[in-house]
Amino acid sequence: MKRNRIGQVHFSIGDATRLGYDQIKRRWGRAAINIASIALGLSFYASLMLSDTFYNTYEGLGGTQLSVESYQYWLVGVALVVSVVGITNAMLIAVYERYKEIGTMKCIGALDRHIIMLFMVESGFQGLAGGVLGFILGLAAAVVSTGFSTGFDIVLKVPALRMLTLFGGSVLLALALSMMATMYPAWRASKLKPVEALRYEL
Amino acid sequence: MSYDYVIELRDLVRHYKMGDETVKALDGVDLEINRGEYVSIVGPSGSGKTTLFNLIGGLDKPTRGSVFIDGVDIAQLDAYELAWLRCRKIGYIFQSFNLIQVLTALENVALPTVFAGVPRDEGLKKAEHILESVGLSKRINHRPSELSAGQQQRVALARALANDPAIILADEPTGNLDLNTGMEIIDLLHGLNKTKGLTLVAATHDLKMIKASDRIVWMRDGRIEKIERG
Repeated sequence: MKRNRIGQVHFSIGDATRLGYDQIKRRWGRAAINIASIALGLSFYASLMLSDTFYNTYEGLGGTQLSVESYQYWLVGVALVVSVVGITNAMLIAVYERYKEIGTMKCIGALDRHIIMLFMVESGFQGLAGGVLGFILGLAAAVVSTGFSTGFDIVLKVPALRMLTLFGGSVLLALALSMMATMYPAWRASKLKPVEALRYEL
Repeated sequence: MSYDYVIELRDLVRHYKMGDETVKALDGVDLEINRGEYVSIVGPSGSGKTTLFNLIGGLDKPTRGSVFIDGVDIAQLDAYELAWLRCRKIGYIFQSFNLIQVLTALENVALPTVFAGVPRDEGLKKAEHILESVGLSKRINHRPSELSAGQQQRVALARALANDPAIILADEPTGNLDLNTGMEIIDLLHGLNKTKGLTLVAATHDLKMIKASDRIVWMRDGRIEKIERG
């Protein structure tokens, strides 16, 4: 059969990572908006989780019982949803900006899933950066807001493992939210027909 | 294994729906293109040139009829095989260059080799070599925005050559270039056609391109009006 002369195209996660990194580096403005969006939502989450941990630690060390108000968790939820919607919006605009580029990629051999991979890698980078930044901001906020009642050195009294778990959890959450927000835009981009994508003028 | 015709079009029809009306962009085209031939597709705008270009390149699906590339009916290919065909068999050149803006000239040319599964170092080396052959050895680390229109089109040409395709499809490749730079691109294309035996199919308005070709296919209203020897 003639079939055996047809082969397969290749595109690894490593290739996508390299290209995604280039995209972020060169289109820094768009990435910065996404990173800020996720960082702000996440810093709220992290500050609440950290405050709670600080209060517990303080109590464990014999201090009076203090706690985070439960309505604040609601606010965190809302903040995270808002940041997800913001990222989805920014990523959709990024897809429109890159219509021609996506069409070109398809012309030189990219499959639908390669396009999805590219956008997901990019949002993964942004999620990681936003998560780390958000945790740092949240830590600062938590120390400032609890410090007056528990003493500012409380941050040093929290068990290291607990701190590490909180950090890991925050970054993972940011990563998950960022990638979740990018699913729809990435899917839209991957479904573009090369002809339409190439004809498109921004 | 070699086929007589590298491209074969059989009763090719492409209709678009525009509201209630059906636009007959292509209305029954039969054409055979030999290996190593240089064919210009000429016609007024709306005559079906670009539609034909898209169908040959597997970028669009015909309403009826078939496109054979190297004897394979591309309607029979699945998405993976079609991607491979676009990647390895066909090199595309566009009027508006369509380079990836965030990548350097070298990376742009090396990109198709990534999809072809060529190891990175090898791909970059090959890209550098091809860029040299189109006269851009001093500009390989520049991004598209730092290059002139003629240089960008040469990068695009180098990219089309990256995986040693059998066919180069060019859609108005000199349309955005001035007389001299356009001439340079035509000379490069013509040289590749003659020395490497690449099959070259170009949709064009450019008289200089038409003159250089082996055959000229005149299109009108979605049909072939006449075919002339160049």
